[in-house]
Amino acid sequence: MKTIKNILILGLVLITATSCMNDFDEPDFKNPPYGNNSLGNANTTIADLKKEYASVISASSVQEITDDIIIEGVVVSNDISGNVYKQFVIDDGSGAIIVGVNDTGLYAMLALGQKIVLNCKGLHIGGYGKLAQIGGLYNGGIGRMSAQVFEEHVKLTGEASLEANGISPEIIDGEYIKKENLEYLPKYVRINNVHFEEADGFTKYAPEEEVYNNVVERTIKLDGTSIVFRLSPYANFAEDIMYTGNFDVVGILTRFTSRNSNSVTWQFMLTSLDDIIPVEQQ
Amino acid sequence: MSTFSKYLAMLLCSIRIFTSYAQTTEVNTNLNRAPFNSNAAVNKEIKKDPVKRLPMDTLLLGETSAIVNIATNDDKDAFTFSEGQLNEDEDVIQGSSAITSSNDDYFLSEVGYLFSPMRFRIRAYDNQYNNVYANGVLLNDAERGNFSYGMIGGLNDATRNREGATYLENAGFGHSDIAGASNINMRASQYAAGHKLSLVGCNRNYLARIMYTYSTGLMNNGWAFTGSASYRWANEGVIEGTFYNSLGYFFSAQKIINDKHSISVSHWGSPTERAQQGAATEEAYWLANSHYYNPNWGYQNGEKRNARVVTSYEPTILFTWDWQIDRETKLTTSVAGKYSNYGTTALGWNGNAADPRPNYYKKMPSAAYDVWDLNYEPTEDELATWWESYNYWKASKANRQLDWDYMYFANRQSNANGGEALYYVEERHNDQLMLSLASILNHEFNNHSKIAAGINLSTNKGMHYKTMSDLMGADRYTDIDKFSVRDFGYESDYIQNDMDNPNRKIEEGDVFGYDYDIYVNKMNLFGQYTYSESNFQISAEAHIDGTTMERYGNMRNGRAKDNSKGSSGTAKFLAGGAKLAALWNINGNNMISFGFGLQERAPVAYNAFVAPRMRNDYINGLCNERIWHQEFAYRLSYGPITAKIAAYYTLINNITKQTGFYNDAESTFTYLAMSGLAKRHYGIEAAINYNVTSALAFNFVASIGNAEYTKDANGFLISENAQFVKEDVVYMDGAHLDGTPLTALSFGVDYNTNGWYLSANANYYDRVYISASPYARLADVVGDPVIDQNGNEILNIPSQFKGEGGFMLDASIGKSINLRGGKRLNINLSLNNILNNRDMITGGYEQNRGDIKYNLDNTTDARIYKFTKNPNLYYASAFNAYLNIGLRF
Repeated sequence: MKTIKNILILGLVLITATSCMNDFDEPDFKNPPYGNNSLGNANTTIADLKKEYASVISASSVQEITDDIIIEGVVVSNDISGNVYKQFVIDDGSGAIIVGVNDTGLYAMLALGQKIVLNCKGLHIGGYGKLAQIGGLYNGGIGRMSAQVFEEHVKLTGEASLEANGISPEIIDGEYIKKENLEYLPKYVRINNVHFEEADGFTKYAPEEEVYNNVVERTIKLDGTSIVFRLSPYANFAEDIMYTGNFDVVGILTRFTSRNSNSVTWQFMLTSLDDIIPVEQQ
Repeated sequence: MSTFSKYLAMLLCSIRIFTSYAQTTEVNTNLNRAPFNSNAAVNKEIKKDPVKRLPMDTLLLGETSAIVNIATNDDKDAFTFSEGQLNEDEDVIQGSSAITSSNDDYFLSEVGYLFSPMRFRIRAYDNQYNNVYANGVLLNDAERGNFSYGMIGGLNDATRNREGATYLENAGFGHSDIAGASNINMRASQYAAGHKLSLVGCNRNYLARIMYTYSTGLMNNGWAFTGSASYRWANEGVIEGTFYNSLGYFFSAQKIINDKHSISVSHWGSPTERAQQGAATEEAYWLANSHYYNPNWGYQNGEKRNARVVTSYEPTILFTWDWQIDRETKLTTSVAGKYSNYGTTALGWNGNAADPRPNYYKKMPSAAYDVWDLNYEPTEDELATWWESYNYWKASKANRQLDWDYMYFANRQSNANGGEALYYVEERHNDQLMLSLASILNHEFNNHSKIAAGINLSTNKGMHYKTMSDLMGADRYTDIDKFSVRDFGYESDYIQNDMDNPNRKIEEGDVFGYDYDIYVNKMNLFGQYTYSESNFQISAEAHIDGTTMERYGNMRNGRAKDNSKGSSGTAKFLAGGAKLAALWNINGNNMISFGFGLQERAPVAYNAFVAPRMRNDYINGLCNERIWHQEFAYRLSYGPITAKIAAYYTLINNITKQTGFYNDAESTFTYLAMSGLAKRHYGIEAAINYNVTSALAFNFVASIGNAEYTKDANGFLISENAQFVKEDVVYMDGAHLDGTPLTALSFGVDYNTNGWYLSANANYYDRVYISASPYARLADVVGDPVIDQNGNEILNIPSQFKGEGGFMLDASIGKSINLRGGKRLNINLSLNNILNNRDMITGGYEQNRGDIKYNLDNTTDARIYKFTKNPNLYYASAFNAYLNIGLRF
């Protein structure tokens, strides 16, 4: 009898010692598990970078950055809702720039408010419809860089918080958009007290039926000037009914320059529905 | 931890009971009669070769019984993570089929083990057609029909006393289905008195096993007690990123009250935790430079963590009353209860988070350009993309695996933005509560004729739900369907998984997503009659069974408001059948046998409901399967040569089946229910033994057959968001059954001398098909017929992927040593796949996605990545060894 007991007890000890092999500690993030943590500090502001390549950007052409340029910026727009796709926008207070990366779910690392350091050497810069963008080559123009290239060129620093990183949108009014202001775009802005022209209590943001050229266009007017919201049917709010009241909105102001006519249209890049802030609730 | 402590507490309690009852007086008797008295007369003609193959039972060679192979090689699960994934239940063991034959059929007793490295299934039958009984109670899973070998995992000693019967044999203990039946004898007095200890070291799913069994035998006071415990362990199994942690225990007590009555109670369970291997495409295997690449694991804090972990525990209790009414009549009555817990984890991802699977198709080099079109000249950009991806895969092992640190960090980032969990681990549960009663009467009229008749009643509640296993550091998760959000918006009821608790915040351990029960009640009555003369035997059986099933939803799903919560209504099926077989012993050397059977069989509840995770609807056209089987066998015994050759034909009609996949055309998860399918199994089986001397024997075994669908299915498609409902033909006609070699040949030699046993087998396998994708065979996907060169209209149905044939060499060597005091030591070493053939496909599945990309404006483009050319495959194990040391004392 003793043998049985002994062996069973031995077995049990073994089991207790090794049971639950699937318990794991949460990783501690001394270094983020993403990006190139060996990158140094920024040596150039975004405004200076845009100035340096102003001619390339305004010609909607592209050029490889061969100098040791390192910028930093805080993520002010990303693909969290699916309205923005394979790109995000950073702002360092001096200005903002679009970064194109051929990957989805970028917001998992590039949360709003995350400060990043971007080593521009080896990347391309150019104008996409005269809008400043960093990325890779695509059909002889500026496009997206691959996810792997991006990861080698980026470093995440600090906590993701717009407030802590001291970045806030500039409030713009009708006067601002009466000027050209192209060289400052894209720009992280807030527009107060506007409403959607199409909102009638039934119309949705971007229903599949209304898709044209992969987007649905919605409009706000600021002092009589139209600003177009290009909304993706892949956005998670695409099928929600448009907000009918007046609201403030935070996002990225851009302009679309038609290749043929050279006419320009103000556009607004909405990150997510959280950025539409009803006036009455304020 | 808590589940294990629970198991431990239960176990300790059982041990205490057991040890206090066990006594030391030992009297060994055997109450059992030979299971097939009349068969024995016939079977003596084909007695096994005198050169004993390794005497499996007495040598304590655990692994040599097919059970362990089955219980551990259960990795055939679709490697998917999608929320609405249906196929995860495929995980339930689909290994090689058990040996369920009359014990003297050389072919049937050998092939299960011989061909187990290739997960051979006899005649390619589905496991649901094989009935497993214990003391006469049917233990097959009531919902799926198959026996779950995890239920007796590691209990090789405790389940070794088995009798078996093929379909055409009268089992005596119950109805045997087309893939046969076996009955495990779990009465305490049936175990050899004494101690047995065995130690195993191997490089398989587990690395070590300890097993100890003790039986008092039948004692003077009429009691017998038997206990067995085993533990199987691997910190990391032979497949990288897998582990194995399994306890098995068994206790049985029996009291022989008098000449007529005996009662026994047995309790067993096998709490197990194990991590799984996933299938991958040939491209991924090539990049990882191994056919054993496992995409299921990744590093977390530098430690390997597997996303797919199975936790199972199916404690079962069995009471049996044997009543020897008179010399010729015996009544066996058993009641069994089972509470099984089965859960399997999977990664989930939320919102617009990227697919975390390392082998997601967009991460493959071949997503850069069409590598399959040899005439295509890739552009510079495309080539650069290909190389980038290739170099990433090759740069480090971590790049080829899941990145847990990344996922945790993503959740932390989401927390910073007040967002939801982007990545999480869910556990999908399928628990069952079963109560079953069986009563079997055996009566011998005289030396020539006997009957068996019995009833089997069972009720089963299957509980299906998922729980949040690990939020991976995230603060929030809301129970809504992410696919529906995009289609209907956040305000819609459609996004709610549980409308009665909308937008419920989910904490770890909470039930979410789906929650429903399936009730199955079964009744089976059978009667068997056997008539034997010295040179012939006739056996006949008839059975009738009734099945009821019902789904009961515990959540009101927003996509099926009115038919998800509450009862589906009860479906009733009345089925039954009859079979007849005859054996004729022409003379001492030649014997022929012939038999046929026809039966109807209720569909299994698992396949009866459309999208059961959200709906209460039965599949259209649900009806009994209709099965026809016929078989002919010839046996020869001529001097040192014995041989058997058999031909069989089985036709199964009215089959229903279902599957689920991500539907590109609709951008949503879609369920596909198929009805009206038919299968045909036919082929030839042969076995020849040649005993050259009493020490040396050669043998040859062959199984060459075909198993294929013979009808197209009526497909019914319904999307997860319920917006897409469609009927369509599925061109399944001609597709082969998968996951088993349809050609398997073995040439072997056995040699024994002075207590040494040696055997070697060269096995050849061919025609292993992988699971045909119903999606690729939908009429809509196949498209319109095209005109071939001869002007005939032909449909462009994809051909089914098939593995290439190949050889494997297995050998084993053993020695039995008698020690003083009646003790015996056995040592055995089995070597499998000695030539290390790493290119044998055991199965896999074609991808349920097409090569066409659907755009929003209803146009289509060719997809760069070719799903149709990238099936997911499993490979047979590389060279492996199994050392077993057994001591009987």
